[in-house]
Amino acid sequence: MTAANPTPTPLMQQPLHQPLIQMKPISLTINGAAIGPIQTPDGLMMIDFLHEYVGLTGSRLGCGQGVCHACVVILDKPDGSSEEVRSCITGAHFFDGKKVRTIEGHAKRNEQGEVVELSPVQQKFLEHFSFQCGYCTPGFVNAATVLIERLKREPIARESVEHEITKALDDHICRCTGYVRYYEAVRDVVLNTPGLVKDSA
Amino acid sequence: MAAKCRFPVKNLLVHPVYTVGYGSKDHFTVPFYGLVAAMYGDGRPVRLAFDRYEQFQTSIKRHASKMRYRIGIDKKTLLLQSFKAEFEVDGGGRCNFSPSVAMVGASGAQSIYYFPKSDLTGVAIASRAIDAGSARGYGTLQTMAATEMLIDEIATQLGLDAIDLRLENALRSGMKNTQGAIPAGAIRVDEVLQKAKVHPLWTERAKKKAEYELAHPGNRYGVGFACVQKDFGTGAESSFAKVEIAADGKITLHHTAAEIGTGVNTSQAIACAKWLGKPAAEVRMAIIDWPELPVVTSGDPYTMSQGEQDKLSANPRWSPGLISPSSATNSAFYFTHSTHEAARVVFTHGLWPAAMAIWSGGIGGGQAAPLVVRREEARWVEGKLTAAGLEPLSLEQLASKAHDLGLVTGAVVHVFNRWQWSEAEFNIDGVTERLPIDGLSLLHGAGKTDAKTDAKADAKIDAKAAKAPVPAVYRALDRKRVFIAPVSRNNAAVTYYSAVGTLVELAVNEASGRVSLLTHHSIMECGNMLSPQLVSGQLQGGLAMGIGHALHEYLPLYEDGPGNGTWNFNRYHLPRASDVAVWAQTGEVLPPLSETDPPKGMAEVVMIPVVGAIVNGIAHAIGHRFNDLPVTPQNIQEALA
Amino acid sequence: MNRAILLRLGALALCAAALSACSGRPDEPAPVTHETAAEQIARGRYLAKAADCAACHTIPGGAPFAGGVKLGSPFGTFYGTNITPDPTHGIGKWSATQFYKTLHDGVAPDKQFYPAMPYTSYRTMSRADSDAIYAYLMAQKPAAVPNHEPDLKFPFNVRIAVMFWNMLFLKDSLPDASAGTSADWTRGRYLANALGHCAECHTPRGVFGQMNGAKTLQGSTLGRVEPPDITPAGLAARGWTSADLQAFFATGISRQGPAFGEMHPVVMLSTQYLSSGDLRALSTYMLGDAPLPPTPVQPGSADAAQVAAGRASYVAVCAGCHGREGEGKPHVAVSMQGSSTLRQADPHNLLVAMLDGVDATDFAGTESMQAMPGFAATLSDDELAHLANYLRSGWGGQPGDVTAANVKALR
Repeated sequence: MTAANPTPTPLMQQPLHQPLIQMKPISLTINGAAIGPIQTPDGLMMIDFLHEYVGLTGSRLGCGQGVCHACVVILDKPDGSSEEVRSCITGAHFFDGKKVRTIEGHAKRNEQGEVVELSPVQQKFLEHFSFQCGYCTPGFVNAATVLIERLKREPIARESVEHEITKALDDHICRCTGYVRYYEAVRDVVLNTPGLVKDSA
Repeated sequence: MAAKCRFPVKNLLVHPVYTVGYGSKDHFTVPFYGLVAAMYGDGRPVRLAFDRYEQFQTSIKRHASKMRYRIGIDKKTLLLQSFKAEFEVDGGGRCNFSPSVAMVGASGAQSIYYFPKSDLTGVAIASRAIDAGSARGYGTLQTMAATEMLIDEIATQLGLDAIDLRLENALRSGMKNTQGAIPAGAIRVDEVLQKAKVHPLWTERAKKKAEYELAHPGNRYGVGFACVQKDFGTGAESSFAKVEIAADGKITLHHTAAEIGTGVNTSQAIACAKWLGKPAAEVRMAIIDWPELPVVTSGDPYTMSQGEQDKLSANPRWSPGLISPSSATNSAFYFTHSTHEAARVVFTHGLWPAAMAIWSGGIGGGQAAPLVVRREEARWVEGKLTAAGLEPLSLEQLASKAHDLGLVTGAVVHVFNRWQWSEAEFNIDGVTERLPIDGLSLLHGAGKTDAKTDAKADAKIDAKAAKAPVPAVYRALDRKRVFIAPVSRNNAAVTYYSAVGTLVELAVNEASGRVSLLTHHSIMECGNMLSPQLVSGQLQGGLAMGIGHALHEYLPLYEDGPGNGTWNFNRYHLPRASDVAVWAQTGEVLPPLSETDPPKGMAEVVMIPVVGAIVNGIAHAIGHRFNDLPVTPQNIQEALA
Repeated sequence: MNRAILLRLGALALCAAALSACSGRPDEPAPVTHETAAEQIARGRYLAKAADCAACHTIPGGAPFAGGVKLGSPFGTFYGTNITPDPTHGIGKWSATQFYKTLHDGVAPDKQFYPAMPYTSYRTMSRADSDAIYAYLMAQKPAAVPNHEPDLKFPFNVRIAVMFWNMLFLKDSLPDASAGTSADWTRGRYLANALGHCAECHTPRGVFGQMNGAKTLQGSTLGRVEPPDITPAGLAARGWTSADLQAFFATGISRQGPAFGEMHPVVMLSTQYLSSGDLRALSTYMLGDAPLPPTPVQPGSADAAQVAAGRASYVAVCAGCHGREGEGKPHVAVSMQGSSTLRQADPHNLLVAMLDGVDATDFAGTESMQAMPGFAATLSDDELAHLANYLRSGWGGQPGDVTAANVKALR
């Protein structure tokens, strides 16, 4: 050890006047409930916020870089439309002041928080045996939900149904199922929910 | 581990809790890192979490395999004569399952064909690649797909229809496999082939090729077929199952099987219906503590000598194996066996005598007396039990009666299979029965009283005490004699098979080299299905995985590969729905021979024929046969140049 | 073009027609070579890749060389022609000499080509190389795919006027942006001009669509993603070395970022197939025999509030892939540090990438990038301007002078 090259100070003993990570408050609405303000590190990704700060572990970390789409949450926009947002590559603070739905928010629950009725998409996934290990399922539920809600606003022709479903879901990777039962379940919801398919023209 | 370590370990609880792995978690070292880290946690929970890059670095890989084949065929009879093959599988740095994969791969190389002579050598090598181990298909994906490609090449060379050549040489029931063992049950690959032969994808392929290529300049059309049969199980399969029926008729099942997403909890719940009329209402999986039936194990079931096995099996509690992991496609056949046998004991020693008691009730032996009533004529119809025309009885009635009469209301069984089920003799309520299990424990209904305390015989006994029931606990029975398959049966290597044939229709773009799957059709033979939806889901998933293996998924072996920590799904291409003909694909399952075919494991075989079919389809499309997977657009561009 | 000029051009056209026969030496006999037919075809295959014929003559999913690729321009839309050996729609009836005349003068047996077919660059290709490409094409599968006439507005649809255009603008060689005398430089010049025709995209054009020789390779505004300045000074200013260029041409990815927009197919269809010697030569021509040292990044000036706002957006929607400190993720997401696009003086390409995103693409070997999403719907003009200024000033060495109006203009 010399004056020119002193023993470096261990990280934990460095003075705190220069914090290594900046904390910022976040407030948002998740599944209809107001959350926050909660102090979170700048640069925290949304999936880590969901898992570590608000205990919502249903959104899955699959690849961590936006390819597999298991992590998507639904962002509900002021204009009434919604979109999937990949929580693994989007910072938590992006959602500050915004409205978000996660997989935990779709089923109807009683006052004790127990599930009493699944959403139509969830119910069809069960009936069609659509998932196996279940890891990608939250992403598929959210993607299908966004699709169904969009079709309610903008119905499509019957001959476009399979194509639209593929477009909405094709980015979602599944290793187990080979996709067929997921897609058939979504088609089942689309064809059997009134108003999503334009009358034959 | 607890005994040897110098930390003050009081208790070591290992809970099998894992999700899907397709083999990559079998005998995986990583949980032990967490275990060791926990030693330093001062009692705090320790979590070991990987990101996807780290998962790519550490997870067990499929064995990269080199295969050299020579097949001899008699051109006049069109019968295959001999098969010489050398396999080399790259096991990476640490030996996981490599010798086993090499062996099973070799045993599968014959695919669906009878070879009078074969000489198959497999070698597992160590290298600086990431550890390779168990992966869906377990060596046979590589070897059988290769055989299917070579058979196709032979057909082309000889100017034969590729399915006809297969039919000529398909194994028939009773023929020996390359290990010299006779496979279990009927071999029905000829039926699968016959279905493929008349399918429009096959019969119209020449016409459709001409039409398609005219309508789509720059694209080539091809149809390919492959058919394989794959074994399931490991030659040392064991499990516990407990089936219990409450007085109100509720069925509970406990099983050692771990649910990893394949739906074994559903299939085993359904399995209870065979003997109990309806599925289990409550299912607990991955149970590893069995105080009701203490079984011990020791030694290696694959390598122990006959003398050793004879000595150890004298202990009525000893079995060559204890609990199998969910692996090797073992739930449909092997785990169902213990579920079925436990339920069967409850039926034969609980529900059936209860039924007879009800049917015989009343004057002169009741409604049963005038009839010949045999247990083998019992049938469950719409959840009620009937036999020989007797009044259908609900499960609730039967359960209540069984409890009242102190009959068997619960059974725990342990089973072991070395390509054949162990059997043992048990004395159950005075009758010796030989059952295909090696451990048994019974629960009798609360109504059962100790024969020595007969309230009527001794009026001085307190009335309440006289009616005090024997506590309802499981009593493990000591087996009288046990019949374990001889150790020489290890040489059979495999005997249980399911078969699948897949037809693939594809187009190859000449400029880009991209292969598009237009559709595919699979024909499967797998005995009786416990749950058709679960079976079709496995087929669909296996097909996708096979498509990925043939066309999309590639990892360099060494320093450029995932060991460098930079690999993720952007470079490792998993097939998407648009890659698997998600809307157009079809599949069918052959009807079982009868309602008594056991369910057979099929979740590995479904992945394999599509691989051979794709390569064969590309050959039909562009006239070039690939023998290195995956077949990439660059490979095709080079072949077409 | 005003009427007066048009009339004068029309008058000269007659003379031009008479003179066109002198504008080259198309009747020169084919040179003798000592290679076999197979060797010539193999060489032609290589040259066709180096000349990137496929970019204009093969549509994605279409038959090889059957034409149909759309080329937009200020004059209208052109379509690549069918150059398979089909006798009706392709070049099946052409001789090697006629093929050479097309590449050299833009004159095909049945018509004069518009310089959208870059004969202005192919003009310097040797007869031997033209013959090899011809032999290769004639060995390909004929595809009976009809040609699509260009959609041009008057007066640009008057084909015969091109002959006059040639008189004014067709030169026997292209100007060099770099200096050199070495064998590599000379070979690189041939690769860049006669084959790769880089100048056709990277040199700005005049009002008649002619390459502006005074500003050769200084970048142009052709297309949504604009071809940047690739002069030696322009490249050095953005940190490029010869090794970087070679990696870029070989794989599509370098320290400076990936090829995207129209340049990606150039790499995938053409430069990735160049031999290592040719890659070295091409890079030597781009940088010159005495390359300028690459300029290190100096932070640019920018308004602090904008930078803070830009950073907030960066952390929210970019850092997940590009890293909190812009370090990128190897083989996954490009680094902001050293990014050539950030270092361009013109923010156009950066704004376009941020608005449109970049499609998922494969690169050479096992490299494959997932899509970068576009943020046109997610971020406002102000947010995108602040983000651009954060990126450019922090990592691009550029001033933070992008405005919301700049962003809006590109939506």
